[in-house]
Parts: sequence; C-alpha cells; structure tokens
Amino acid sequence: MADSIALAILWTLATYGAAGFCFALAFVFRGIHCIDPAAEHAGLSFRIILLPGAAALWPILLRRWILAGAKP
Amino acid sequence: MSTGYVAVQWSRHKRVYDASIAIGIALYLGAFVGVSKVLWQGAHGISDEVILIRALGSCAIVLLHVILCIGPLARLEPRFLPILYNRRHLGVITFLVALAHAMLAIGYYHGFGVLSPVRSLLTSNPNIDSFRAFPFELLGLGALAIMFLMAATSHDFWLRNLSASTWKRLHMLVYVAYGLLVGHVALGALQTDRGWIGPALMFVGLCTVSGLHIAAGLQEYRKDRGNPTTTPDAEEVTWVDVGAPNEIPIDRARTVCAPGGERIAVFSTGGTISAVTNICAHQGGPIGEGKVIDGCITCPWHGWQYRPQDGCSPPPFKEKIATYQVRIVSGRVQVSAKALPPGTPTTPVRIPGDMP
Repeated sequence: MADSIALAILWTLATYGAAGFCFALAFVFRGIHCIDPAAEHAGLSFRIILLPGAAALWPILLRRWILAGAKP
Repeated sequence: MSTGYVAVQWSRHKRVYDASIAIGIALYLGAFVGVSKVLWQGAHGISDEVILIRALGSCAIVLLHVILCIGPLARLEPRFLPILYNRRHLGVITFLVALAHAMLAIGYYHGFGVLSPVRSLLTSNPNIDSFRAFPFELLGLGALAIMFLMAATSHDFWLRNLSASTWKRLHMLVYVAYGLLVGHVALGALQTDRGWIGPALMFVGLCTVSGLHIAAGLQEYRKDRGNPTTTPDAEEVTWVDVGAPNEIPIDRARTVCAPGGERIAVFSTGGTISAVTNICAHQGGPIGEGKVIDGCITCPWHGWQYRPQDGCSPPPFKEKIATYQVRIVSGRVQVSAKALPPGTPTTPVRIPGDMP
C-alpha cells in the first residue's frame, strides 16, 4: 500500500476515533437516558462498558440523540 | 430482562462459565508455549515473542471455531444448550485474545523502525495485487475490526437500541471475520510453515464448522417441511395441525411452521394448550426449545420469560411476544397461522379429559 494512502487511512481513523471518544464520554454520562430511559440510573461500570461501542457507532447515536431531543 | 441496566448480569452459571474459559485459555497457551519450546530448539529455535504470538493467534482461531460451532451443536443436541447461554462472554474474550495477538505481532515485527508500527504494517508489503504474496496482515486487521464491533456491541443496551434485526445482522459479520481469518492464516502462517499439521487442522476446523451448519440447517428444513396445514375455515383463517394433545410434551412445546414460514411454539402446561411465536424478544432465541418454569415459558438461550396466555413477561418486566389462537378439533390441536399483536391475551385451550 502506498504511504500516502496509508497516511490518509490512519488520519481518517484517528480523527473518527478521537471524535468518537469525545462523543462517547458525553453520551454515556449525559445523553444515554434521552434515547433509553432504562439507562438513567445505571452505574458507572455499565457506562464504561458502553464507551468503545459508543465511540465506534457515534454517528448513529448522535442522530438518535438529536432526534430524541427534538421530541416534545 | 430489562428493568434497568447493569454492566454484567452475573450469576453462578456465568462465573463458572467464564472461569472455565479463562482456565482453558491459560492451559492452551501454556501447553502451546511448552510444546513449541521442546519442538523448536537449537538451530531451529524460535524466539519467545514469536511463540507467544503464534499461541495467542491459534488460541483466537480455536475460540472462534468453538463460537461458530456452539449454535448448530445446540440446535442438533439440546445437551449443548448450557454452553450457548454465555456465548457473548466467549466472543468478548476471543476478541481480547486476538487483540493481544495483533498488538504483540505489530509491535514485534513493525515496532522498531522509523515509521509508526501501524503505518509500517500498512506499507511494508505492497503486493496487494498478488494472491500468494498478499499482505495477509490486512485480512487479520479486518477480522479484528469486526470482532471489536461485535464485542463492543455485545451488551443488551445495543441489542435494544440498534433494534434486534440490525444487531443480528451486525453480529452475523462473524462469518465474514471467520473467512478473513482463514485467509489470514492460509496466506500467513501456513505459507511460512511448510508442515502439514497446520493446513490439516484448518481444514478439519473449516469442515466441522460448515458440516455442523449444514446438518443443523437440514434438520430445521425437515422440521418445517413435515408440518401439514389445514385448509382455511369459514373465516378464512388458516389452521396448522400440531398433533394430538398428548404428543406435546408436558411443560414443553412442539414447534410448527405456518404457511408463511413463521415458526410457532405450541406449549402444553397445566392441562392447557397455548401458542406463542418461536422468536424470543431478546435475541431471537428459539422459545419452542425452552420449557415452562414457574408458570412462564422460558427461552433456552438467556432465560427470558413470558406468560403462555398473553406472551407478556411477568412484572416488573415489560417484554411482549406474539400469541396465536389455539383450538382442538377432532382430537387434534390446531393453531391459527395468523399472529396476534405481541401481548394479546388468548384463552388457553383445556385438553379434554384433563381435570383442572
């Protein structure tokens, strides 16, 4: 693989991952109950377990969070 | 079932299961390293790092084979059901073993140059258009990415919030990961080591996984074909023949297939017959292979429960599954092919001659 392509892939992944991690922190501690009320009183270990998945799937969760926030 | 989330719903069974996996992995790694050190000595000696890389990689492959075999095995032989219950923990552990293999391999082979290890990995082998010299590491990375996604979304939160069908589709990617890993091993370790044991073991593994899936699929196909259906009645409801009441085992079910292909679990309990969908609301488990415990139909996969008469989970749980009308005509149990909305109450049919 050419070095320029490898660099582009790595930068894309790093940017996506960094954005995802920041989003995941906000989501598991602030936004999770907006899309799933059952998570409102969940403990710290549950929230930490969700961090990797939230960081990986953050565009889906962000959309769900915005839609849930828009509901009256 | 869901009233609130916890990180892990520990039970004694899960602790024993996880401890067994941990002990099994430790024994495997120890045995692999020990045997390798005896076999590869002197001029043919292999460094400890490489032995550990191989031990972890082969361990992840073995675990993935076990994961893929559990489903069809449990379908073919119910005695294997207990090892199906906690398969998600096995999946997470498999990912962690594969991750350890990848980190060690990337660090060892690409960690001492000018470029960063991952950048070196991506650029060190440019033969992307060659079959035999293809950079097999990329196949392994692809499999690892899928295994990460599966491990990261293994909690029930994801099942509920991604929807059961999306979650299931995501986790069916395990077969793609398996294909990538077969390629990773075939183009990597099996080409480096010219012996016959590695290819033979991979071939046996591949045949076992595909053979069990084909056997389980054939069994399901035969079950579905064997169910005769009756003609529509005056109200144009199609009734599916289930058999005589005493042919349904007490506190268990007989599963029949509706003309549309949906499976219906018909339970006999407390002298009555009732029917629900065969698909559990949790992970799509085969409810018809479960049994009635404390008056509730209990899914064999994770123990989710539903009342036979309305398909609702007992309070405080709120899950619901579809129910079906049942009748007994000329000594034969018949179930309506039309599913009622989840949680719809039905009147269980009392078996004639069975006193309350």
